[in-house]
Amino acid sequence: MKRIFNYLKPYKLFAILSPLFMMGEVLADLSLPKFMTVIVDCGIAQNGDVSGSAFGSRIMKLIYGSGPYGSMQVIVTFGILMLVTVLVGGFFGVTCAYFAARASQGMGHDLRRDAYGRVMSLSIEQTDKFTTGSLVTRMTNDVSMIVEFTEMILRMFVRAPIFFIGGTVMLLTLDLTYGAVLLCALPIMALTLFFVLRKAVPIFSNVQKRLDRVNSVVQENVSGARVVKAYVKESYETSRFKDANKELRDTNYRVQKIMAVMHPVLNVVMNLSIIVIIYVGGFKIENVGGSGMTAGTIMAAITYVSQVLMSIMMLTMMSQSISRAMASVKRIEEVFAAEPKIVGGNESAERGEIAVAFKGVSFRYPGTKGLPVLYDIDLEVKKGETLAIIGATGSGKTSLVNLIQRFYDATEGDVYIDGLHIKDYKLSKLRSKISYVMQKSELFSDTIANNIKWGKEDATDEEIRAAVRVAQAEEFVNGFKDKYDTFISEKGASLSGGQKQRMSIARAVVRHPEILILDDATSALDLATEARLRKALKEEFADTTVIMIAQRIASVKEADRIAVIDGGTIVACAPHDELMISCETYRDIYNSQMQSREGEKELKGAESNE
Amino acid sequence: MNNQQPKAPQKLPGFGPGGGRPGGPMGARVNAEKPKNAGRSLKRLLHYIGRSKMLIIALVMIMIAVTVSDLAGPALQGAAIDTIKINGGKLSVDFDAMIRYLCVMAVLFVFSATLNYFQGIIAAKLSQDTVYTLRNDLFAKISKLPIKYTDTHRHGDIMSRMTNDVENVSNAISQSISSLISSILTLVGAFSMMVYYNWIMALIACVTIPITITLSGTLAKFMRKYFVRRQKILGQLNGQVEEMVTSYKTVVAYGKEEKAVEDFSRTSEEFKKCSISARVWGSIMGPCMNFLGNLQYVLIAVFGGFFILNPISFMRRLTIGNIQSMLQYSKKFTRPVNEIANQYSSILTALAGAERIFDIMDSADEVDDGRSQIKVSEIEGNIRFEKIDFSYTEGEPVLKKFDLEVKAGQKIAIVGATGSGKTTVVNLLTRFYEIDGGRITIDGLDIKDIPKDTLRRAIAIVLQDTVLFSDTIANNIKYGRADASDEDMKRAAAHARADTFIERLPDGYETVLAESGSDLSAGQRQLLSIARAVLADPKILILDEATSSVDTRTEMHIQQAMVALMKNRTSLIIAHRLSTIRDADVIVVLKNGSVAEAGNHEELLALKGEYFKLYSNQFAGIAI
Repeated sequence: MKRIFNYLKPYKLFAILSPLFMMGEVLADLSLPKFMTVIVDCGIAQNGDVSGSAFGSRIMKLIYGSGPYGSMQVIVTFGILMLVTVLVGGFFGVTCAYFAARASQGMGHDLRRDAYGRVMSLSIEQTDKFTTGSLVTRMTNDVSMIVEFTEMILRMFVRAPIFFIGGTVMLLTLDLTYGAVLLCALPIMALTLFFVLRKAVPIFSNVQKRLDRVNSVVQENVSGARVVKAYVKESYETSRFKDANKELRDTNYRVQKIMAVMHPVLNVVMNLSIIVIIYVGGFKIENVGGSGMTAGTIMAAITYVSQVLMSIMMLTMMSQSISRAMASVKRIEEVFAAEPKIVGGNESAERGEIAVAFKGVSFRYPGTKGLPVLYDIDLEVKKGETLAIIGATGSGKTSLVNLIQRFYDATEGDVYIDGLHIKDYKLSKLRSKISYVMQKSELFSDTIANNIKWGKEDATDEEIRAAVRVAQAEEFVNGFKDKYDTFISEKGASLSGGQKQRMSIARAVVRHPEILILDDATSALDLATEARLRKALKEEFADTTVIMIAQRIASVKEADRIAVIDGGTIVACAPHDELMISCETYRDIYNSQMQSREGEKELKGAESNE
Repeated sequence: MNNQQPKAPQKLPGFGPGGGRPGGPMGARVNAEKPKNAGRSLKRLLHYIGRSKMLIIALVMIMIAVTVSDLAGPALQGAAIDTIKINGGKLSVDFDAMIRYLCVMAVLFVFSATLNYFQGIIAAKLSQDTVYTLRNDLFAKISKLPIKYTDTHRHGDIMSRMTNDVENVSNAISQSISSLISSILTLVGAFSMMVYYNWIMALIACVTIPITITLSGTLAKFMRKYFVRRQKILGQLNGQVEEMVTSYKTVVAYGKEEKAVEDFSRTSEEFKKCSISARVWGSIMGPCMNFLGNLQYVLIAVFGGFFILNPISFMRRLTIGNIQSMLQYSKKFTRPVNEIANQYSSILTALAGAERIFDIMDSADEVDDGRSQIKVSEIEGNIRFEKIDFSYTEGEPVLKKFDLEVKAGQKIAIVGATGSGKTTVVNLLTRFYEIDGGRITIDGLDIKDIPKDTLRRAIAIVLQDTVLFSDTIANNIKYGRADASDEDMKRAAAHARADTFIERLPDGYETVLAESGSDLSAGQRQLLSIARAVLADPKILILDEATSSVDTRTEMHIQQAMVALMKNRTSLIIAHRLSTIRDADVIVVLKNGSVAEAGNHEELLALKGEYFKLYSNQFAGIAI
């Protein structure tokens, strides 16, 4: 709470000026009935005799000297005064809006920037925990909510109390009895609002939940249309939707029914107050013989009572947004409260020929129990070596390579890069050594050239072309009309899986990383293309340490060594030929793909038949 | 990849009648969109609203009553104050008359408030019912649309029609329409009342109306410019967050955190500036209207005073109370003018939304005119593709004179390079798409003659892009056969080799999948889809790259388990990995949209053609 609103500090001046100017506007609004009273009482009713109104006579005297004044003179004078007051008030209002906008938008910008900066410093495990969807809404909806709320506070939360106090004071200066009217009306109003809101507010959040449900059913049906149709589930889905929709309708209706009470009750309270005010006025004139009560004062009193009651209504309406804004504040604060779990060290003296070393590493995802994902991992990869990793779905291959870039930290054991413990590296330094290509390519809505430049900001056109060549992407890139300036829309939705993977590989190699990690990054490439890619890598990136995860034996066969992962640990690590002899798991994998030596024989047989 | 669609940002629930909208009325005006054919959409929308005729009639009648009693208020108030008389500078009051007026007022207010309450409830009911029907119809329509529609339209766009557009329509019905009607009634009523008191004064009061309209129009134009720009930048800002946060791993891997913040900060700064300008322009409107309102007030006071002092011989003499009433009416006068302008644009927005909704509703349904009485259980599974021509976009044929015969119980594999048309064969057999030429038959029956329900019940497909629902794992597996027993379901899971990982989950088969299964790995999702297809027990089983993310050993186990399952059914397998399809009865090699080779594994190898090339590539791995 405090932390968020500290962001207003740099804009203190504006934040203070805004309510001050708002006060000017309110005062102008409050003085209008005064002028009107003089117009009605003195100008119209008394033929320009201002003696009945101290305020009127003082002003007339100031302008025209001592009276008597003509009726029209009074009306026109006060009419002009009124309009001038409105103009001045309007000026104050606009200025107030300007200051409020300066303050709240300025704060919003700072807040958004810092919150986003914090998100961008979180560790992967934290973004996993928040979920990306929730982080996106926090950065967009919640920040906007806070900004709008701040602006409203600066303008309205000041306006309402001033109106309330000012209106009450003005009303009491007219006649003290009117205070009693307010005393009766206010509690009724407050109670109504209190009960209505107490019932309605919890339902509002229910409405949101129902709406989410409706949306998720639609979402699933739109993106899963094939499966729905294939299993002939249209009517089932329609009835599922109907249920969700019906709940939404009923909840909406329930809340609107409750809210429908509010308006009429408030209207009745307001109008009854007006009746009482007229009654009190009439009563005083009848029984007390005037005592300063006139038609004009009654009218002014009516205006003030309306203003006071309106300000209460305004306050309660706004109080609804308090709870919403507070929820947003809480959600943003959670982001700020998340200290990055993984922070870099300061050391940078690397040593040794071992590019990557795992020593006694075990790992389980933060916050999970049960068996670890990885255990007893001891592995060394030399500089320039190509290490392949193969293993079953869910055996921990990706988890293993994610420890290298410190997406996660090992639960036990140590990881070294170039002889230095990875926790001693500055994070930026560590990650600049590594290029990581994921199976699911993440491209950005930008041109092809700029997407590749992600790997190296100052890459020359020549470097980009070279990277694209290595990644075997040149052919299809040149096939586009705009070549390297082709815009990739919607995160690469316009490209095929294989094209996306090759783009990601080009992005990874353009920076000439010391360590290149390919996490099943060639799964969508056909074997011939993949072989060409491997050849190009070998030729042009001989010094680069390559760690590649793959499913296909053909992809890993040529690697210097192949680590076979089974059930969370490395069961063997050796070149292909050795593994074929020594490792049963590897042989199993090989056989599952090659149907044992049969395939080889068949090929040979087919050849010799020639 | 399509299940990555971001959830459309949801609007907060609007308040019912009597509630203020957060954006204020100006928001609606500025975001106004122009519908292309407002008249037609309005008519159709009215047709929807018109389903509850009684409600509408009740609503309009109540609204008339409320407006009339609201209009009577100032008249009575004026009359009550008029009981205060001045006799030679001394005030006196006809107290009895005043109390009489006040009593009438009190009764009237309570009466009108009661009506007001019912008006709110009826309006809510009307809008909720209408929107409910509209949503249901829209959803039913979406489920009837051909796959082509969802394939060629952005999912986010379809979603936003379902959410934002329906929401706009709902707001228009619950708020704009009632408020528009009551504004017009009030305007007419207030004007008549003023004419009744003094028509010259009424005309004077009207002087400000054209000024109000011109001024608000001009201001709105300026504001629109800024608001549109602001919306655009906001879209950019949100887009940036969305993209960077969802691709956070890549951002981190490339150390681009700071650059992302920098870019974001720049957009945010621009957004800030634009917001301030928009806000300032927006805030000018209020004072302007305030000024015009007060100008009218002063004009009435000035001219009213003038007419009291210089009564016009041919007109009724004005009293102070009359002036008071007229001042009240003049206030009732300015508001509706402003209101009508606002509501007009939010109704336009709603109509534009309605147009987009009807746009979907008007799209052609999936063709389903099969008249054959064949039952699912009678289908044996002989499939024939005869000289099929097909293209997704005209002029780019995908299949050309494609021929294929599959006998019941056979296992057929289709191989070929990416883009050779493998998946298209599946799309055509299930009639997701309609062929351009040729004929597909099942057991000799043209599939066009088989009702789609029957056809698809006979087929189960497993797709590469798995689709799971946010439900329990058990229900996801039972999707194709809801009445399956738990034992059957678990057996299917075991066949698909999905049982091990499911049993390791904390809630086992009752685990609820979050966000359509996004918490499972691609391989696990595929195993679940296979289990689902196995349980559906179809005559024809189609596996379209169904095990591409599953490791080869697991795949082999699945295959062994499926041998028994596939015995009495026709299966169609599309795969990248040739090891997957080696033992198929017939392997079909697709090239450029037609069959290049067909035969079993040995025959094709002996042929030394396309298949041999593919196979040796795969086997040798490095052969180029």
